[in-house]
Amino acid sequence: MLLSMNWLREFIPYTDSGEKLGEQLTMAGLETEGIVKPYEALRPIVTGLVAECSRHPGADKLSVCRVDVGDEVLDIVCGAPNVAAGQKVAVVRVGVTLPTGLTVSKAKLRGAPSNGMICSEFELGLSDEHSGIMVLDPAVPVGKSLLDALELDDEILDISVTPNRGDCLSVLGLAVETAALTGLPLTMPDYERLSGGTDASPELALEVEDGGLCPLYHGLIIEGTKTAPSPGKLRYRLNAAGVRPLSNLVDATNYVLMELGQPLHAFDLDRIRGGRVSVRAADAGERFVTLDGKERTLTAGDITIRDAEGVICLGGVMGGLNSEISDGTRRVFLESAVFNPGAIRRTARRLGLHSEASFRFERGVDRTGATPALERAAHMMAALSGGYVRPGLIKKAADEAPRRPIRFHREYAEKLLGVQLTSPFCEKTLRSLGCAVRDASGGLRAGEENSAMEWDVTPPARRHDLTREVDLAEEIVRIYGMDRVPARMPGVTRDLARAGLPESKSAFLNRVGHWGRQAGLNEIIAYSFVGGKELDLFGLPEDGRVPVLNPLNEDMDVLRPALVPGLLNALCNNMAQGALSVRLFETAAVFTADPASESSVREEVRLGILLHGARSARAWPPSPGDLDYLDIKGLIEYFLLEFSLPAADFVLSGADAPNLFSPCVDIILEGASAGRAGRVKPEAADRCHAKKDVWYAELDLDYLYGLYVKAVTLFRPLPVFPPVRRDITFVVPRGTRAGDIAAIAERMKSRIDTDVRLIDCYEPDGADARNLTFRLTFRRPDRTLKDAEADRQRALFAESVCKTLNVAVQRPDE
Amino acid sequence: MKLIAELDNLADAFAAELAGVASAAEAESLRNVRLGRKGDLAALMNRLPELPAEERPAFGKAANAVKERLNRLLEDRLAAFRAEAEDASLSRFDPTLPGRMPERGSLHPITLVMEEICGILNNLGFETVYGPEVETDFHNFGALNFPDDHPARDMQDTLFIAEGIVMRTHTSPMQVRAMLERKKPPVAVIAPGKVYRRDYDLTHSPMFHQIEGLLVDENISLAHLRGVLTHFLREFFGADVKLRFRPSFFPFTEPSVEVDMSCLICRGSGRREDGKGGEDGCRVCKGTGWLEILGAGMVDPAVFAAVGFDPACAGFAFGLGVERVAMLKYGIDDLRMFFENDLRFLGQFVK
Repeated sequence: MLLSMNWLREFIPYTDSGEKLGEQLTMAGLETEGIVKPYEALRPIVTGLVAECSRHPGADKLSVCRVDVGDEVLDIVCGAPNVAAGQKVAVVRVGVTLPTGLTVSKAKLRGAPSNGMICSEFELGLSDEHSGIMVLDPAVPVGKSLLDALELDDEILDISVTPNRGDCLSVLGLAVETAALTGLPLTMPDYERLSGGTDASPELALEVEDGGLCPLYHGLIIEGTKTAPSPGKLRYRLNAAGVRPLSNLVDATNYVLMELGQPLHAFDLDRIRGGRVSVRAADAGERFVTLDGKERTLTAGDITIRDAEGVICLGGVMGGLNSEISDGTRRVFLESAVFNPGAIRRTARRLGLHSEASFRFERGVDRTGATPALERAAHMMAALSGGYVRPGLIKKAADEAPRRPIRFHREYAEKLLGVQLTSPFCEKTLRSLGCAVRDASGGLRAGEENSAMEWDVTPPARRHDLTREVDLAEEIVRIYGMDRVPARMPGVTRDLARAGLPESKSAFLNRVGHWGRQAGLNEIIAYSFVGGKELDLFGLPEDGRVPVLNPLNEDMDVLRPALVPGLLNALCNNMAQGALSVRLFETAAVFTADPASESSVREEVRLGILLHGARSARAWPPSPGDLDYLDIKGLIEYFLLEFSLPAADFVLSGADAPNLFSPCVDIILEGASAGRAGRVKPEAADRCHAKKDVWYAELDLDYLYGLYVKAVTLFRPLPVFPPVRRDITFVVPRGTRAGDIAAIAERMKSRIDTDVRLIDCYEPDGADARNLTFRLTFRRPDRTLKDAEADRQRALFAESVCKTLNVAVQRPDE
Repeated sequence: MKLIAELDNLADAFAAELAGVASAAEAESLRNVRLGRKGDLAALMNRLPELPAEERPAFGKAANAVKERLNRLLEDRLAAFRAEAEDASLSRFDPTLPGRMPERGSLHPITLVMEEICGILNNLGFETVYGPEVETDFHNFGALNFPDDHPARDMQDTLFIAEGIVMRTHTSPMQVRAMLERKKPPVAVIAPGKVYRRDYDLTHSPMFHQIEGLLVDENISLAHLRGVLTHFLREFFGADVKLRFRPSFFPFTEPSVEVDMSCLICRGSGRREDGKGGEDGCRVCKGTGWLEILGAGMVDPAVFAAVGFDPACAGFAFGLGVERVAMLKYGIDDLRMFFENDLRFLGQFVK
C-alpha cells in the first residue's frame, strides 16, 4: 500500500515527517518498507510566463519564446505546437536534469539561441502526455518551484499490509490507525454534493440471487457525463499511489478506492441491455471477455454481474469489455458492492487476475463503508465530468448477522502478554480503534476512577480480524508497544514420561554427520528435487517416483528417490573447479510413492557417500593411489564399527541392481539390506566430467537407526594367554573370493580361537590365479598354546580350505 | 720397569691413532683392538705375574689409570663424532616442509548453525524432534489456522505433490505433530529441518532450512518468549545483542511478533563501519540498526483447538531461517553458495 502523506493529512492533522510515521506504523505491525518522494526531481524546475512567442524565421515547427521565470527572462526555442504567449509553463534552466535523465544545455537552434526548455507532462514524468507542453493554471505565480506550484511536495510510504489487515488498504484506514497511535483527531473531509433529476432507482431492476456471494450491492446513476482527462492534482496523486490515471470517470472510482478502500465499478449505463442488472454465480463453461480483451472461461464459483442478455462484469475481479466506460459514455451506472472473500480469491487465483479490487475483497471490505464510498465517488465523478447524480439508491443487501460483543478481561491480557495494564488504558485503546466498549463488571458510579476489569467489546465492521478475546489482547499490546514487553525466562517443565527414552533420531543423525567429518568426508546439502529426465539418464527406476504438481522448472519436477543425483551433481560442480580428490557425503530424506502413507509418500533418511580421484589430495609426494572399492567398503565398515553395529556381508547384487552401478554390492546386515555400494558406470560418470572411477554408497539410516538404538556395548574379558601366529598362502583361481576362505575359519569348531586376516594379495601379470596370504592367529583361552598345536591347526585349516574351494597351498619354495 | 714403559708407549700410540680416526666406527674398532677384552692393554695387564710381587699393585694402579684415561679420550672423540653427525642432520632438517595431515572432512555450515542453535535450546529444556518434509494440508495449513481460500496462504508459495499434499512450507507442522503426540502440556520442542517454497531467485531458494520452537506450559506469556529469544540470540551472537519486538501477522500465532536483532556490523547504530555514514549508512541493516531475524508469537487458540489441547492453555512458538543466520554469522553474501557444494566453500567452516 502506497500512502501519500499529503492525502493522509486531509484526514488527520499529522505534522511529523513521513519517516516518523513510518516508524510508528512499523512498530504497530504495519511495516514501512520504504519512503519515496516521487516528484522530488521537479524541485529545480520553475514556473514561467511565456512573455513573447513568435514563429522561428528558419523553421516552421519551432517557436522562439521569451519566458519570464521571475529573476530573469530566458530565450527558449520550443517545438511544441500548443505554445503561446501568455501561458504559464514549466521551465527547465540550463544545467538541470529532467526525470527522463536529459540534462538541458545551452543550444542554438537554426540560429536562434535557446537557454532552457519548456516541458511536456511526459518530460516531467507526470504522465504519458507528450503531444504538447504542459500549460499551468494561470493563477500560478512565476518563478516558483513546480513542486510547490503543483502541490507535489509529498512523501509516499510503502507499507506492507499483512493479510489480516484489509482495513489498512486505504488512506482512511491508515488515518484511523494513525489516530489510534497518536491520539490525533480523525476528520472526514467535506465532500461536494451535487444532485439532480428524478429518482433513478425504478429505471434499473436489480436482482441478487445469492446473498452469500454478494451480501451487499448498491448503485447510483450519473447522467450527462463527458469523458475527459482528470485534473492534474488527481492524476498525480493516483500516479504516486501506483494507479495509472485513465479518464475522469475511471479515475474517480480509483481515487475513492485508494482513499476509502471500497472497490467500485463504473458501467456505461447505455450499454446495459434490458434495463436490469443481476448478480449470480456463473454457469460453468460460460465465456466472457474481460476489460483486458481476454476471453475467460468461467466456472460455477465465479460471481457474475449480468444484464438481460449476459455477463457484463466478473464481480469484484474485473469488468467486461461489453459495458466498459468509453469516450462516448453519457450515463454511468456506478456499483459499490461487498463480495464473498473466498469466492473472489478463488476466481482471481484461477484466472491469475489480481486487481486492486480483488486484493481488497479477498481481505474483506467494510460493509458500512460501501454506501458512503459510492456517494463520494458518484459526486466526484459528476463534478469531474460535468454530469449530475440522480437521486435514488439502487440497492440490495442481505440481512447482516448482528455482531456479538466479545467479553474482554484485563487479567487475561496481562497474563498472556506478561505486562501490567491499567483499565483506562484498555478502554481508551479499544475505543480509539473504533470498538464500542461497555463495562461488563457492573458499571461505574459517577466520579469513580475507572477500575473495570472486563468489558463487552464490539469491534467496528471494518475489522474482520477481531473476533476473539485474544485478538483484542493483540490490539492492546500493539498500541501499548510490543517492544515494551519485558524479557523473562520461563521454567521449562521436564516431562518425566520422556525420561530414559532411546536416543532420538535427530541425535543419531547428528552423530552420523560428525562421523562423516571425522572420516574425512565433506558434507553437502543438495536440493530435494531432481529432474525426471536426469533420473532417466541415470537409469533410476520410474516406479515410485513422486512428481511435483507445480515444479519450478523441469530440473526440479520430481522428489529425489535416492541421494545419488545430488552427490553426482556436487561432483560435477567440483570437477569444474578442478578438484583432484572428492570425498562427499550427505544425510537427507529420499521420497517414494506409498499409497499407504498419510501423505502418500514414504520418506527414508539415507546416508550417501561419494569418492572420486586421489586417495589423498594433501599427501606429498603425491600419493599415486586413487580411491577405489576398498576405500568405500572401508568407510562402511568403519561406520558400522563406530555405531556398535554388527559386521556386514558384502554381496554382489543380483539382477535387481540399479542400472547406474557396476559392480554393485548389497550391504547385508542382520539378514536385511542396509544399502548398496558400487562404481558409477563410466557413461554416467562421464557426464560429471569424472576422470577416475566414481565409487558410491547409499545406506538406509532408518534401518541402521533401529539397530543402533538396540545395540548394547558389553565388556569382553581380555585374553590372558599369548597368541601364536602362522601365515599361509593359497593359490586361488579367479572367481574364488577371499571372504570364502576367511569364512571357513569361522566354521571350524575348536577350543582354539582362530582369527584369520588377509595380509597380502598378489596377482602376477597375465596369470589366471592369484596368491592370497592370510595371517592366522591362534589362541587358547585356558592355557598357552604350544607351537605344535598351532602347526596342526594351520594344517587343518589348509586342508579344509583346499578341499572345500579346490585351491592349493603355496609351498615355501615356490 | 719394562712393563710400565710399554704401558706408556701403548698410551702414546693410542692417542696418536685416535687422533687419526675418521669416523665413530673406526674409533670403536680402535677401542676393541687396544682397550677391548682381548686387546693390547688387556694383554699387557695379563703379564702382571712377570713383575715382582711388590711392584704389582703400583703397575695395576697405573694400568687402570691409563685405561680410564684412554677410554675417556675415546668417549670424547665419539661424542665429537656424534655432535658432528647431529650438526650435519640438523642442517638437513627443514621445519618448513608441509605436514602430513589426515584427510580432513567438514560439516555443512547449515548443519553447524543448526546444531549450535539446537544445542542452546536443548540446554534450556527443549527437545529436538524430526518430522516429514511432505505434509498433509492439515498439518501444514489447516491445523495452523490457515483457512482455505484465505490470503494468508499467499504468504507462502506452495509446492504441491497432490490434492491436499504439500512440500512443507515451514517447520510449523512440527508444532502440530508434537502436540498431537504429547496430547497435553508440557510441550517443549524444537524442530530443525528443510522447508520448501515455490520461489527461486537471487535471494530465495526453493529449499531452505528453518528451526521451529514451541513451548506450551502453565502461565507462559509473551514476556517468556522474549526471555527465551533474548537468551538464545545472545548465546549465539554475543552478549551485547539487543532485541526489538514488532507486531506482525502469522495465522497460527496471536499476538504475532516480528523479532529484530541489533545489527551485528554497526552494533545498532545504523552507521557505516568506517564512520562515513553516507546516504545509506550500514550496508547490512541498510542504516536501520536492526536486522529481521525471526517470526514468533503466542500460539493461537485455534491451533490448540485443532490438536485437542485445552484452548485456555498458553504457549509460544517461533520460527527462524537458518540460512539467514548462517549468512550473518559467517558473512556469506550469496544464498546460492549453500547449495552449490563447492569444496572450497564447504571446507571453510569449523564452528
